[in-house]
Amino acid sequence: MDVFSSPSSGSSSKPSPEAVVQQVQKHLAQAYVQELLQTVGEKCFTKCITKPSTSMSGSESSCVSRCVDRYMEAMGIISRTVINSVPR
Amino acid sequence: MDSSRDTAELQKLLEQEKSRAMLNELVNKLTSVCWDKCVGTPGSKFSSSETACLSNCAQRYLETSALIVRRFTSMQQ
Repeated sequence: MDVFSSPSSGSSSKPSPEAVVQQVQKHLAQAYVQELLQTVGEKCFTKCITKPSTSMSGSESSCVSRCVDRYMEAMGIISRTVINSVPR
Repeated sequence: MDSSRDTAELQKLLEQEKSRAMLNELVNKLTSVCWDKCVGTPGSKFSSSETACLSNCAQRYLETSALIVRRFTSMQQ
């Protein structure tokens, strides 16, 4: 049974609007996570790995950890600021 | 028939998803830009000046975008 067939439809050919939107949301969420990982990776590499050597030091990896936490926190701050700026 | 109502419903729902995705994109963009401007070496928490900078940065960026739109609009006239 394909994922779009709903109990109410007679045949399995026409997906409901809700089912289509769910698929769209799933794809958007996946793309969002990909983009976020790439951005955070780039930002934190820039901040924490200033002189790449033959292996990652303890301070470099703890910097990256902190960096990820801070970036997510920054996203929260920005997100709240944007939501609160929605024009009346 | 069912299908034209479904199409209208689908269009409405997709518009909502589009708006949501655009808002996420804006937040992503702003976070990226303001992170570069405001954050030094990542510590175990933000300093109050970093927090203020991030918030100010987002607001100024939004104002800048609005300003640019107005400028372009007046150039068209």
